[in-house]
Amino acid sequence: MARLSLTPTSKLISSGFVWLLWIVLGFLTSHTHADTGLTVPQRVMLSPNWDTQELSISWLGGGATTFDLIILRTEFNQTVFYETVSPTVNKVSGLHQWTWTSVNPLECTSLSVKIRSKDGQYTSEWSQTETLQGNDHPNSEQSVKAFPQDKVLPVGANITFCCIMDEGMVFDKIKYDGNATNVTRLSRRTYSTTVSNLVASRQSGSNMLCLPEDKGKLYGAVVFVGYPPLPIDFKCETYDLSSAVCQWGKGRDTHLHGSQRGTRYFVNNRDCSEVNQDVGQKEATCTLDTWEGNWTLVAKNLLGQYSLTDTAELSQRVCPVAPDRLSVVADAWNASLSWHWKYDSYSSLALVCQVEITATEDGKLIKRVFSGVGLRSVFLSDLYPDERYSVKVRCGAQQNFWKWGKWSELSSFKTNIYVPDTPDAWIWLNTDNTGKVVWKPLTRRQSHGKLTQYEVFLWSPEENRALAPAVTLPPNTWSMPVNLTEIAFFSNNGNIVANVTARNDAGSSPPARVHLTSVEPLAASRIVNTDQGFPLFWENNANATCGYVVEWLDAFCPQDCPVEWIKLPAGTTNVSIQSDMFQPGVRYNLSLYSCSSDTRELLKRWQGYAQELVPSVALTLSASQQNADILLTWKEIPLVNRRGFLLGYNIYNSTGYQFKLLENVSDPETMSYTAKDFAKGFTKGTFKFTVKAYTAAGENTGTTATVTIEPYADWLILEILTSLGLVTLLLAIVTFTCYKKRKWVKKAFYPDIPEPKLPSDWPRTRGPLDVKPSPHSMVCVVETPEYDCIKEMLVAIPEEDEDDEGQGIGDESVDTDEPTSLRYYNQVVDERPIRPRFPDSSASSISSMSSAHTDVTYTGIQTSGSSLVLQLDPQGSSECHQPQLDQSVSYGGGGYRPQMQPRAPSDDMGLPSPESFLEPQAACSGGYKPQGSWHFDSPVDAAEMGSLAPSLGSPTSVASTQFLLPDGEENTGEKRQLSSSAASWLTNLLSSTKP
Amino acid sequence: MSLCFWHAPLLHQPSVDYLLFLCLRKKENFTEDVTDRRLVSVPPPSSQLDTRDKLWRIHSALLQCQKLLEKAVAKEEEELGGGKKGEYENKRKLVKERLPLLLLSTGELLKAAEGTTSLTPSVEGLELNVPTGLLDLKLWVYRVYKEVNYWSKTAANTLKDLPSVIVKEGARTTRARNRRSTRR
Repeated sequence: MARLSLTPTSKLISSGFVWLLWIVLGFLTSHTHADTGLTVPQRVMLSPNWDTQELSISWLGGGATTFDLIILRTEFNQTVFYETVSPTVNKVSGLHQWTWTSVNPLECTSLSVKIRSKDGQYTSEWSQTETLQGNDHPNSEQSVKAFPQDKVLPVGANITFCCIMDEGMVFDKIKYDGNATNVTRLSRRTYSTTVSNLVASRQSGSNMLCLPEDKGKLYGAVVFVGYPPLPIDFKCETYDLSSAVCQWGKGRDTHLHGSQRGTRYFVNNRDCSEVNQDVGQKEATCTLDTWEGNWTLVAKNLLGQYSLTDTAELSQRVCPVAPDRLSVVADAWNASLSWHWKYDSYSSLALVCQVEITATEDGKLIKRVFSGVGLRSVFLSDLYPDERYSVKVRCGAQQNFWKWGKWSELSSFKTNIYVPDTPDAWIWLNTDNTGKVVWKPLTRRQSHGKLTQYEVFLWSPEENRALAPAVTLPPNTWSMPVNLTEIAFFSNNGNIVANVTARNDAGSSPPARVHLTSVEPLAASRIVNTDQGFPLFWENNANATCGYVVEWLDAFCPQDCPVEWIKLPAGTTNVSIQSDMFQPGVRYNLSLYSCSSDTRELLKRWQGYAQELVPSVALTLSASQQNADILLTWKEIPLVNRRGFLLGYNIYNSTGYQFKLLENVSDPETMSYTAKDFAKGFTKGTFKFTVKAYTAAGENTGTTATVTIEPYADWLILEILTSLGLVTLLLAIVTFTCYKKRKWVKKAFYPDIPEPKLPSDWPRTRGPLDVKPSPHSMVCVVETPEYDCIKEMLVAIPEEDEDDEGQGIGDESVDTDEPTSLRYYNQVVDERPIRPRFPDSSASSISSMSSAHTDVTYTGIQTSGSSLVLQLDPQGSSECHQPQLDQSVSYGGGGYRPQMQPRAPSDDMGLPSPESFLEPQAACSGGYKPQGSWHFDSPVDAAEMGSLAPSLGSPTSVASTQFLLPDGEENTGEKRQLSSSAASWLTNLLSSTKP
Repeated sequence: MSLCFWHAPLLHQPSVDYLLFLCLRKKENFTEDVTDRRLVSVPPPSSQLDTRDKLWRIHSALLQCQKLLEKAVAKEEEELGGGKKGEYENKRKLVKERLPLLLLSTGELLKAAEGTTSLTPSVEGLELNVPTGLLDLKLWVYRVYKEVNYWSKTAANTLKDLPSVIVKEGARTTRARNRRSTRR
């Protein structure tokens, strides 16, 4: 409470102190300013230019040449401008003035301005703030809330818009041409946006829309963006020889249109805008009453102006107006055209006029130029009778020609009719002297009016009288039949002329004269058509006083043929004939006639095709065999079907898929072909021959004839004999060669087998041979009795090689692993004694095995699962007789059966039948059979020889086609009756080589 | 594609006035709901209104639309025209030509409904104050088109629901009048 009671007192003291301080400071300050001579600017005035957004600021006093100027947005107290400026001074009034241009429209928001004098470092007090009230002020009564309104700017400029929201309205965004923009807030209710680098706007301008959140309250402004005018080609000319008409091009589109913003044109300060507002018109004109000689065009719009000048004498710029009121007076072949001029002054003007005449029928354009002073009529010659024309005229100054004036209106006229042209007549005669006088229809241009009839009358020039009354024919008839035989009856001599005339309303044409004389046919030469037609050449004929006629028609037309012709002037020696009549593949006769006053004469004839084609029909072909030859014959293709000049025939032979050209017969007259010795190469078969005729266009599809070749017996016999002779010769050569090289052959194919060598300590005791059944395939070699006498033991060796020595033999896997790689040795394997290959066998077995020996190793015969047990004679008497193999060898099912073991044991040997000891399973399996193909000892032989069959002595490997011949085989072989002669021969041959 | 046909595929059977409305909207990038007030002033619709009153209301509105449209076209041509005539100008011309025909029809129907003592609606009180700013002018023209479109559509719907007797009578009178004007 005490504090509160003290407060008023302290407040009073403090406020008194503040006041005192202010007074002191004010005094000091004024004293300081008084020292520098700077005073506070007075009477600051603001003069806005709303359109240019310029704010003119003026004030009085200040005592300085420079002033600090600060401009702030009043509401937000934001500094917009703060610089030291040097204003202009009105020396009379002493008023300082400086102009500031605002980025934002001045209406957007209130602006406050303060100024102070400045002289170096010294400044005066700020002047009183002067405020330019914006439209966002609450007191503002302006209804427009968006600025600037309806501004016109050049393309590329920038613009800043502002929107002033109504009280209570919430701002949303500003859109320019449909796009939202970046917005800056200027005051509580004012927002602005700047659009840079403006592009040309459409005709109605680009819209800036102020969008409050309440979309219904839309408002904004329009801006027009375009270009200043840029007119081109400014020229002035005269039509009436007194006034001037200036023209220019509007140039580029300014994008500013309408009376408000469109371009205004002035020629020599005369406003020519009204007549040139049409945007679609690219040219503008302005008429000046007098010829001034110098003109300046100024084109203006809100963005700028552009000037063009032109200078010329009147005589250099005369452009006559279009001739007026054309009139034509026409004759049959010409017409007189006249017109009027709009200005009388043209009567003394030298003019050059261009007349354009168009024939209505074919649209053909004729241009003619006439000249003269004050020209107003021309004579048009070389027109066609009975023809409709349209004509127009334009003129220019003949002297100092500047340009053609405008074309006159079209004027139409029709020429009068005239007598027709002479018809183009000719005569066609058949071989029987009948024929017809023909003439070409007259075209419209030749008729010179509508034809009413043709007249033909026969005339004897020598007798100078008509041979018959004139025949009148309707205008659509172009031939008249004649019979020379009948006509000759009326004439005393053969010289008769047919006169053909055409008639229209204007009269008859001059007659066409045709001599009715028959001509002798001439031989035709061949002619080839070209792109320019049939090129015909001939020598000039002195008798052809009235020229030549070339006539052409279908060569195969028999009677009353459609004929065409062309008449050529005298002296002509060549022509190229082209006609729509020409058809591909049709032969035409072309005839050259000379024309004289007396007669006509056939001078030359040609034949040719406008375009050659392949023959349209195939040949009639027949084929026959004559011994080894094939004769093909065919018939000629009819002329009408050839469709080209026949050049020859191609003869093909087709065998299966091949189509081979046998011969090209280049003579089209040839109708047969003989394929010489064709059948020689074949014993029998069917062959096709195709013959195709060809022209310059190619060959036709051809005709095929089939020939079945019969066996050619002579050739067959000869072939057989030749073969036999060759075989005999070959055998002789082989025999001779083998004989000569028998040593080499023996060495190569039948080398000697060395004798086995037994060591001295070889046990001689005989023991029973006990060979355990082995899972291995075995080779069982049974020595012949003779051999047994020499060789003590027979050793069965598995196919393992000698390398297994020392490691023991009998590894079962060895055999079973190599069932297909059977090896066979027929050479000396080792000099060492052969040892038993069954180390796991009993000693007795070993001894029994060792009781026999051989230097040949038999391997390679395997039968899976077979076992072999060799049991020698228990009495040990196996040495000098054949071992009882059939008793001592037991066969596992399907096991090995030695080759020497006959299937049917010999009764002499007293052996039981194989079935008795083969056991049931052996019987079922059938046992082993040799696989060798080359049976030196064939089963048959073996059977024949009974138990001696194996005694051929050759241990045979089933894996080989060769024989292993033991020593002494020679003797053994001699005992055998070999049925194969080749084998016998070879054996003998080889035996003879043995040393 | 022409600017003026931009939205046409979206409409079932777009009338020319609607197409004109759309055309301007598209051309000037206006939003759809640019409208703050109605320009045509007629009594509010009511189920109490009889046929004659309905016709009178429609006819009165169309009369106002015609006046507004004429003013809008003239002002638009004056302030924003002068350029090349395009699709928009063609449509505007078409609408301007067709609106009197609709007015003629509704007028005849009104006469047929009222008998000889017809009370012709007046447009004297119509506010034709055209804004001075160009954007405001554009928006005003836009509103005029919107009114034309609205009242054309309303007229079509109303005529569809009218008793057939009145329609036949109106049609006969219209044909007769057309014949007379043709003879002249």
